[in-house]
Amino acid sequence: MGDVGRKVPERFDVIVVGAGPAGCAASYMLAKSGFKVLLLERGRGPGSKELYGGRIYAQPLRDVWPDLDKKAPIHRWVTKERFSFTWGSRVVTLEYRVGRSVSFTTYLPEMAKWMADRATEAGALLVDEVVVDDIVVRDGRVVGVRSGTDFLRADVVIDAEGVNRILLEKLGLAERLDPGKVAIGAKEVLRVGEGAINDRLGLSKKEGLAWLVAGDVTEGVPGGGFIYTMKDTISVGIVLHVGRAVEAAEKGFLRTSIHGMVEKLRLHNYFKQIWGDADVVEYGGHLTIEGGLGLVPKKLYMDGFLVVGDAAGLLLNTGYTIRGVDFAVTSGKLAAETVVEAFNVGGPTEENLSVYESKLKSSFVWRELVKHRGISEIMSDPYYFTVLPALLTSLLKKLFEADYEEPTIMDAVFEAASEEDISIAKLLLKLASVVGRV
Amino acid sequence: MSTLEKPFKIEDLLQRNIWDVDEEPHIEIPLDDQEGLKKKALALLCPAGCYTLIGDRLIFSYEGCVECGLCRIITPSDKIRWTYPRSGKGVTYRYT
Amino acid sequence: MAGYRVVVGIKWVPNTQAVRFDPKTGTLIRQGVPAIINPQDLHAIEMALRLRDAYGGEVIVITMAPPPAVQGLEHAIGMGADRAILVTDRSFAGADTLATSYVLARAINKVEREIGRVDLAVFGQETIDSSTAHIGAQVASWLGWPYIYYVKQASLSNGSLRVVRQLEDVIEEYEAKLPAVISVLAKALRPRHVSLLNKLRARTERPIITWTNKDLGLDTRCVGLKGSPTIVAKVTYLPEVPRLKKVHKAENPREAARWLLKNLLSDEKTRDLIARALWGEGSA
Repeated sequence: MGDVGRKVPERFDVIVVGAGPAGCAASYMLAKSGFKVLLLERGRGPGSKELYGGRIYAQPLRDVWPDLDKKAPIHRWVTKERFSFTWGSRVVTLEYRVGRSVSFTTYLPEMAKWMADRATEAGALLVDEVVVDDIVVRDGRVVGVRSGTDFLRADVVIDAEGVNRILLEKLGLAERLDPGKVAIGAKEVLRVGEGAINDRLGLSKKEGLAWLVAGDVTEGVPGGGFIYTMKDTISVGIVLHVGRAVEAAEKGFLRTSIHGMVEKLRLHNYFKQIWGDADVVEYGGHLTIEGGLGLVPKKLYMDGFLVVGDAAGLLLNTGYTIRGVDFAVTSGKLAAETVVEAFNVGGPTEENLSVYESKLKSSFVWRELVKHRGISEIMSDPYYFTVLPALLTSLLKKLFEADYEEPTIMDAVFEAASEEDISIAKLLLKLASVVGRV
Repeated sequence: MSTLEKPFKIEDLLQRNIWDVDEEPHIEIPLDDQEGLKKKALALLCPAGCYTLIGDRLIFSYEGCVECGLCRIITPSDKIRWTYPRSGKGVTYRYT
Repeated sequence: MAGYRVVVGIKWVPNTQAVRFDPKTGTLIRQGVPAIINPQDLHAIEMALRLRDAYGGEVIVITMAPPPAVQGLEHAIGMGADRAILVTDRSFAGADTLATSYVLARAINKVEREIGRVDLAVFGQETIDSSTAHIGAQVASWLGWPYIYYVKQASLSNGSLRVVRQLEDVIEEYEAKLPAVISVLAKALRPRHVSLLNKLRARTERPIITWTNKDLGLDTRCVGLKGSPTIVAKVTYLPEVPRLKKVHKAENPREAARWLLKNLLSDEKTRDLIARALWGEGSA
């Protein structure tokens, strides 16, 4: 009767929890190697719960999908990088014209769906609308997952649950997220139109712009604003260091809500000329890792178990670049390679899966995280988010807003510093420590 | 003046998303005893504005929740029950 | 088969929560708006599943919709329905409730011919996109089965159905001979969630059959736009209720209530509005 298909499987070789970039990369690689893979996703369709800044670094993704440039839903290749300091109505902007574009913009929901489609084409089975409640451990071995009253068995479970590590916490492999090590982001997507974006930002077809903003847009809280151009929309958002933001809010220093800050950025006189009165077509928020190695779990593997992507704490925010999706994809790929090799040498035992950690540690992901590990201290220090933008804008004000006589640069520096009540000695010490750390 | 030239209220922003809100809340936070809650932080930092301060009393509604997890990590774990919506409910993003 | 065979009719509707006005043009934006199972139909599925869990048998979910509705049928199987039927055909497009109920009734006849006796057909109270509440009654008419609506609870015994029906001011109990058709009261139950194993079954076993008009063989004059006598003659929007836009920051609930009452009664315009709302035009 009817088109009754395959019998319901009672077990899988691998169950991957979460159809984001890390989970999809792992599923794709494993399915391609002939493993029976189940990819579980809590949203309605893959990608439906995805939210990020707006930009992906391409090369690590090409290592998994060599046809990325031709087939993936790439909106624009980033050819212009901008960085702005804001203070009141004054803005200092630095623009860099990229020689060779290494990153592209896209909607992550769209991109994740593309990745999930690659995985299912390779033979992985995707089941959405399902929340996993527990990773099931028996005698020290991970044996499957539980959702509600349902248990499903697998030889290996790959945890790609994302930044909210509910499953890892239950397993005892991670503490509850430390507010000092995460940031909260909120963003809007504005429908501007492809032609208007190109005209107003001096971009040609398929060229994109990435723009980070620091200064009073975050009202003294460490963090910043971001602007990315998509095909015919622009993403505008704010990221705040959670620990510092909570402190500022509780002490009464912070008065504006995060969505209020996003709206202020949208309506900022300097920035709004880019999008005019474009309509907001979507709004959302997401937690993100602040960077460094601070959120890597106690263990990245167990007998029958691996952790990848945001859940593994793999994200780098240097203040001028943010890398999450490419790290996630790389970790998914390394996890898949580890599983394939483990089955060749006797199975997914703890020892065989420990190779994942060494693979990760010898990859560019880990080298980047180690290299920039000092950055998280800077990124959580309010000093750099108030004093620097204040001084810089004040300095340029002295230089450019003179009616008759311009000061010399040195005079301008000292005048600006005394006006903003900034100690030059402290500033130099702080800057020296930045150089020391990075 | 177009409505787009004034700041939107959070409800107006959230209304732009696709929702299939569950009839049962996926987050529960007891509001009879508000001791130990980071009330101002919840009210200002929840991106969806699910927390509102009225005087010094916090009120909560789960309907516009974007499932970010912020309230989970800044609230003592015995004061909040936080889960993801089941059956694919909650927010659905397209352009983020 | 021991137990009862229950058919649930569901509608795949635009997610009206996601439909909004363009602030510039004032028109509805439907682009990119996904569809969902009509929320009240989840209660119908839940009632059918409870009957099956209590008495045995099977639940078959049926919808007349374009092919993407398979996603909704998978959701229904994810909740625990045993199988699902997608009734789809280009000639069914543009149907009003009469043409829709005709197709559904004939599909139920086909279930009886090819799968076996149907004991009960269950529908939601009404849909969020048209709110007619016609379908249950019309399907019952086509089939010649008894129909009870606003059903809050149902039980089965010895070939008959007992239901509790809740109206605004009374609760009634009915008994009817099977087969019968019921519509479930809005928000009567707590629809269960999709489960991992059921959803896995939806994706692997694929217990979803597709029937087109080749399978049903219905006269094309009776289906789709051609079979739909309903004409929407005119749409009038209700006048907006004028608001005074007063905001009061109260010290406590008692003070708030007192302020509200005082303002409602002291302001002449408001008093008129209340009077008109309560007793109709001209009563002020």
